[in-house]
Parts: sequence; C-alpha cells; structure tokens
Amino acid sequence: MPQKRFSIGRIYLALVLIVMYLPIFYLIYYSFSSGERMDGFHHFSWVHYQALFQDTRMISIVLNTLVLALLSALLATVVGTAGALMINGIHNRLWRRNILILNNILLVSPDVIIGASFLIFFTFLGFKLGFWSVLFSHVAFSIPIVVLMVLPRVKELPKSLKDAAYDLGATRWQAFSQVTIPGITDGIMAGFFMALTYSLDDFAVTFFVTGNGFSTLSVEIYSRARQGIDLEINALSTIMFLVSLILVYIYYRFSTKKGAKRRLNQ
Amino acid sequence: MSKNKHLVFTLPYILWLALFVTAPLVLIFYQSFLNINGHLTWDNYRDYIHSATYLQMTFNSVWYALVITVITLVVAYPVAYVIAQLRSKDFWLALIILPTWINLLLKTYAFIGLLGQHGSINNFLRFIGVGSHQLLFTNAAFVWVAAYIELPFMVLPIFNAITAIPTSLINASLDLGASRWQTLTKVIFPLSKSGVAAGIQAVFIPSLSLFMITRLIGGNRVITLGTAIEEHFLTTQNWGMGSTIGVVLVLAMLIVMVLTDDNNKKGGA
Amino acid sequence: MLKFTGVKKQFGSNVILQDISFEIEEGKFYTILGPSGSGKTTILRLIAGFEFPDGGTIAFDGQTINQVPANKRQVNTVFQDYALFPHLNVFDNVAFALRLQRVNKQEITARVNEALNLVHLADFADRELDELSGGQKQRVAIARAIVNRPKILLLDEALSALDHKLRKEMQTELRQLQRRLGITFIFVTHDQEEALAMSDHIMIINNGLIEQSGTPVDIYDEPLNHFVADFIGESNIIPATMVEDYAVEIDGRQFSCLDGGFEPDEAVEVVLRPEDLDITSVAKGMLTATVESQLFRGVDYQIVVRDTEGHEWTINSIHKTVVGKQIGITFDPEDIHVMRFNESQTDFDARLATYQEGGAHEQE
Repeated sequence: MPQKRFSIGRIYLALVLIVMYLPIFYLIYYSFSSGERMDGFHHFSWVHYQALFQDTRMISIVLNTLVLALLSALLATVVGTAGALMINGIHNRLWRRNILILNNILLVSPDVIIGASFLIFFTFLGFKLGFWSVLFSHVAFSIPIVVLMVLPRVKELPKSLKDAAYDLGATRWQAFSQVTIPGITDGIMAGFFMALTYSLDDFAVTFFVTGNGFSTLSVEIYSRARQGIDLEINALSTIMFLVSLILVYIYYRFSTKKGAKRRLNQ
Repeated sequence: MSKNKHLVFTLPYILWLALFVTAPLVLIFYQSFLNINGHLTWDNYRDYIHSATYLQMTFNSVWYALVITVITLVVAYPVAYVIAQLRSKDFWLALIILPTWINLLLKTYAFIGLLGQHGSINNFLRFIGVGSHQLLFTNAAFVWVAAYIELPFMVLPIFNAITAIPTSLINASLDLGASRWQTLTKVIFPLSKSGVAAGIQAVFIPSLSLFMITRLIGGNRVITLGTAIEEHFLTTQNWGMGSTIGVVLVLAMLIVMVLTDDNNKKGGA
Repeated sequence: MLKFTGVKKQFGSNVILQDISFEIEEGKFYTILGPSGSGKTTILRLIAGFEFPDGGTIAFDGQTINQVPANKRQVNTVFQDYALFPHLNVFDNVAFALRLQRVNKQEITARVNEALNLVHLADFADRELDELSGGQKQRVAIARAIVNRPKILLLDEALSALDHKLRKEMQTELRQLQRRLGITFIFVTHDQEEALAMSDHIMIINNGLIEQSGTPVDIYDEPLNHFVADFIGESNIIPATMVEDYAVEIDGRQFSCLDGGFEPDEAVEVVLRPEDLDITSVAKGMLTATVESQLFRGVDYQIVVRDTEGHEWTINSIHKTVVGKQIGITFDPEDIHVMRFNESQTDFDARLATYQEGGAHEQE
C-alpha cells in the first residue's frame, strides 16, 4: 500500500516539475530557432545569440544589472550583518521584538508599495532618479533578508567563543574579525546570495525609482516584452539560466557542506 | 570609547531603519492626504469609497489573490509532502526552488509565447481538434501565471514545517494504529499549519499587488490594486490617489498578517 | 600569587558573591566546589577577567588587577563547552594565541606540537573539529589553553560533558598534567567525587560565600557544618548534645569521641560516614534500628535503617542483611565528628588547637 501511494506521489511531483520547467525550456528551445517568433521551430541557428552579442544597449544593461546586484548585495550584507549583531546584542525583549518587526517591514511589503514609497521619498529629498536611487533602493530592500539569514547564526554562536578569544589574548577587534565573523560566515554568505537574487530579480521597485537614464535587465525585458516577442530575449534567457544553474550549484555546495558539518556536530 | 566604535558600526543599520523603513511609510501615508495640487484633503479617501471602480478593483484584487493562493496551496502541499518523504529531499527541493532564481520577467515572457495565438498551447489545441482560443490577455491566464510564479514560495515553508515534525511523532501515530492517511490528516496537517500560514503570507501579499503580470499576461487593463498604483504614480501622475490605494493595500496586507499570525500561534501551541 | 580580598559581585539586584577572600599559591591544584548557582563559575570568570568585581580586590603577584581585561591576564581557560573555534582545525585552534602574538612560524609549530603531545593528540594536528570525539575536543581545549604558558589554568566544569569512564581517565590525566607543568590549576566543578580525587585544596562555595576551604582529607573528615557534611560524600547527620569534652549524647545514649572545646551540654550535630558504621546484633549494638531498604551497588550494599528515636541512618556494608530485621549499629570514637552550629573556619581552627595536643587528630 504505502509503496503504491509513494509512486503516485512521485508521478505527481514529476508532473509539477515538468510544468514548472516547461516554460523555461520552451524559451531555451526557441532561442536556437532561426525564426522570429515562438511558434514553429524553423531550423537551428545561433542568429539570436549573434544579435544579442551585437546589441550594445542590451550588453551594457546586463553589465549595469550585474554591477548593481553585486554592489547592492555587498552593501546590504555589510549593513545587514552589523544589524544582526546589533539586534543580537539587545537584551530588552520588547525592544528586540520591535526592531525585528521594523526590520521585516520591507520584507513583507508588496513591492509596488516599496517602489511607490521610495519614489515619494527620493522626490521629497530632491534626489535625482537614476543609478544611485536604484542602488539605494536595492540595498534597502535587501538588508532585512541579510539580517534574517545572519541572525540565527549569531544566536547559535556560543558566547564562550568570544570569551575564549579574549582569554587567549585577542583584542575586541581581533575577537570580532577572527572569531565572530568566521563563525557566522555561512549566514553572511547566504545573506549575500539572497541579496544578490533579490536585486537580480527585482522589477517593480526598480521600475518605480529608475527614471529615464538608467535601466536594468528586468525593466528592459518588460519594455521589450510589451512590444511582443523578440527571440533575442530567448537567447538571453538561455544564458541567464546557465548562470543561475552555476550560482545555485555554488550556493548549494557551500550551504550543504556546512549544513552537513553542523548536523554531524550535534 | 568602544561604545563609540560600536555606534559607528551600527549607524548604517539604524539610518536604514529610519530613512528607508520608517520615512517612506510615513511619506506615503502623508501623500495619501494630498490632492493633485498638493493640498491636504480627505478627497482621495472620499473618492475611493464612493467610486464603484475602485471598490470593484479592490474586491477583484482580493479575489484574485485568494484564488491564486488557494491554487498554489492545493498544488504545493502534496509537492512538499512528497518531497519530505524522499531520500534525497534536498535535491528535489532545490529543483523546485531553482526557477525562483530565474528572472521573473523571463518566466512571464515565456508565457507570452506559450499562450499566444500561434503559441504552442494553441497549436496543441488545434492539433487535438479543439481549435485555437484567446488565451493570452485573459483573467485565467493571469491567475495561472501568477500561481506558477508563486508556487515555490508556498512549497518551501510547508516543506520546512513538515520536515520539522519529529519522525517519532509519525511513528507514534502509526504505532497507535493510525493509517498513513489518518496520520497525514490527524498529525501532519495540524503540525504543519504554521508552514501553511507562512506560505499564505508569502503568496497572498505579493499577489495583491502584482502589476507586471497583469500588464503582460492579463492584458493592458487596470484590474488590481497593484496596477492602479502603478497607473497613478507612473502614468496619470496622481500620487495622492496612488498613495491612498497604497494605504488600502497596506491595510489589506496587515489584515492578512494578523489573520495568519493567529493561525500560527494556534498551530504552534 | 593570586589573592581575593572581600570580593563582591552582583548582577542587577541579584547578589552572586557576597564576600569572597582566599589566596592561591603557585603550582597547586585547586578546586572550587559548589552546587549550581552557588557563584563558583563567577569566581572563575572574575579570575579570567570576563567579569569585574563590584567590591573588594583581586591581586595577582601583589598587583591589583580588578579592571584588567581578559586579554591582558596571564590566565587561560578551558571552557565547559570547550569553545573551540569551529572554523579552525586542531592545529589552528591551538595556535590561535601564538598567532595573535605574532610568534614566528617555527616556534608556533614547535609549541603547538608540544602542547598536543602533552594531551596525547600528537597525530591530530591536521584534523577538523567534526572528526573529534568529545574527549578529544576536551584535550584540544586544554592544549589551546596551556600553549600560552599561563600562570594559572582555569577549568570550568571541564569534564562535565564527558561520560563516566572518560571522566575518570581525564581526572588522572589532568592531575598528571598539572604536576608535569607545575602551573596552578583552578578547577570548577559541582562533582564532589571529582574534587576529592584531584585536588590539593578544595574551596566549597554556597550562596556566594566560602563554606569551607582545605585539603580533601580535612574537608571529608572534618566538615565544618551541615552543608559541607551533606555536600561532600555520603553522611549521616544526627542532632546530639555535647555532655562534656570528649563525650557526646546521641539518641539519649552517651558515647566517647575525640572532639573537645565545647560548652557543657551544648547542642551540636554529629557526622558519621556510612562506611564507618557496622551492623551487628541488637545485643552487641550501640544503637538499635530496623532495616528499611537495601541496595546492591557492586562494591557494597547501601542499607538504610531507622533507629528507635526515628533518625534515619545510611550504612555501607559488604555484608547483606534482611529488610525489616532489627539490627544493632556500632562505631568507634574516631568515627564521630562533632559540628558546632554556625562555627566559622577560623573559630574551628582555633578550637582545634586548644585540644589537639591531647587528641588523636593528625593535621597534614
């Protein structure tokens, strides 16, 4: 009996996965078609990839997007890690709870609200919309996830580790840089990766605060998709899918290795 | 001395809390009381309450979000359950999460191709003799694509909740004579409630405010609160009204959070 | 070498240490023994420099070190949870302090290997922490603490996470290690057996005060008060009356003993260790009692009896008896230890001096 249920379950899972991956592979498939639309595969061709690599506007947007993602993830990781350490240091329960609620607001807010309120905020300050407003926005909405990824690691870190570092002659800074930070590295890395994905994936907030001069991939795809099918975008999807695969591979290798170790320790 | 160093270190975070969390919220609230000429007024709220269009749209938003949430929940729970039983669960979970790493716009874009007049689905329908249909720019398409995109965010918390149930509890249930089905309904369901609540939060709130999918898949119509906000801010430039709708959206979000949080406590207690 | 004078410590309104004074000499093995919450770990943290006293002075080699932080003290700690740095392997953990001091590479290697040798982990330098057993982690923690050649090594409940057998082994090893290194060990534990087995000197702490301080033999044979007698070893503590010096009345019968310096007819408590009591026939017994229970413990039987006055006695005997039987209890005069109520250690020592020449007591 259980055996049978199990196989029904597997079939179901397989079906869901097929439906989930179908659109992605559909995009990839047509990126190699010589046609102009996603109907009827003409014949195999690299023509859309060639078009993509000659599209300097697209390439500069891809670079913009990557620089933006790396920079915002880096800044959010630094600020968020400091925030997690600060929150962990708050002993008053009520304060701690309230700070955490504040921290999580941007995490649960709909992105349209974040985008609209940031737009009002920047306009209120007279801040020019463009790269910097987008960067600040990305840092802002990535900070809470970094905090949430780092905080459990900070909590898990035995207090005695810091004592041990002082005991062995470390200064506050040495204890911090050589014991605390390495002790929470996997939380920091996870936070960095999450911030990176948040930034790469964001459309709505960027759309609101980006003005005219600066564009990211999401915004560009949106405006092109509104004009209809463009197989250059398919070619781009294929490349981005491969990049995602590599990133995911790195991320999981990293996190499961650490996770396995942690489990062994317990 | 070290206190000062401490402050320098945490100052960016505190500034962030003040400038990017608190200030924008206060500003959007303030803006919602400004009319198009920048005068303080109740007009926006009055218009909102008296406008059949806005009320209809609010109802639609909530309704669509509800449908999307129910669909993802119904699809996601068995997925999470099945994966939790598998030996290499991490791998299968990774497969479910992987699509979230692919840009949202690209996934949406794929559906423009799939659902189009000459897209594969219509080809398939013609092939089996049903004939082609208008799929793109329908409400059904919008719901389908939204559910597709939100699915992993429902699976993940449910999976976590199920795997957090100690195996000994399941063994105890079987040991006490419950069948696998009974164990599922009487032990696993109640104990994974917190995951379901988290999943509902993760899906419902974003679904309320979707505007990109509405624009690209649902047709270029203003049918949800998200699209209305975008329209007011970026097209008609009536920020006051946009902010008012934003405040309504925030209220809706708070209601959902309070409701699911309550569930959470009952599930956990 | 290390001296506490009237040290006080409180967290908020919670007074942890009321008034602690003691002196630590070089090269000895000290144990701070007390129940949980007694303040013993706080004393350790004050010595290490993780906490600072709210009153009194802590002096090291004659210099007050009240406010000197941990990283400036010549004291190292072995933590209860080992506190090994999870991102470093065995070698790097042990080398941590030396690297901070920018000791050159060859010396680091030599000293780390020497320390690992001392704890019998010579071949483990390249291991990751996850590959070690609890006992091995414990040894790494010790190696890390001694590599810096501290004047004092602090051990905070260092063996409590180990299983019984391993703990016994580590007790012997720690003792040997202390002798070989010749540095002062201060060991904190709640386990009296461990304290008796390892120490040159034991300090018993309760409610933030030192209840008694002395060699293991002194403390076992001559507990100062009810708390110490009860906390150290198994004991029968029975109310009694000192009729005159060297004569004590228990359960209405008078026995001779070796304690003196009391007021006539002073109310006291006597301590009799279970292993000092013997079971005999009712006719030969000094007290009569009924057997209530009997437990076989491998080396002996633990027998609980109740005497005619209703006092409960625990007797450890290698001979078994029968539950419900009437028996007699016998003991010798030197088995009786008389405790005066509320007597301080100073008063006790003074009283001991007044009659000691005449008595059979031997002070180490």
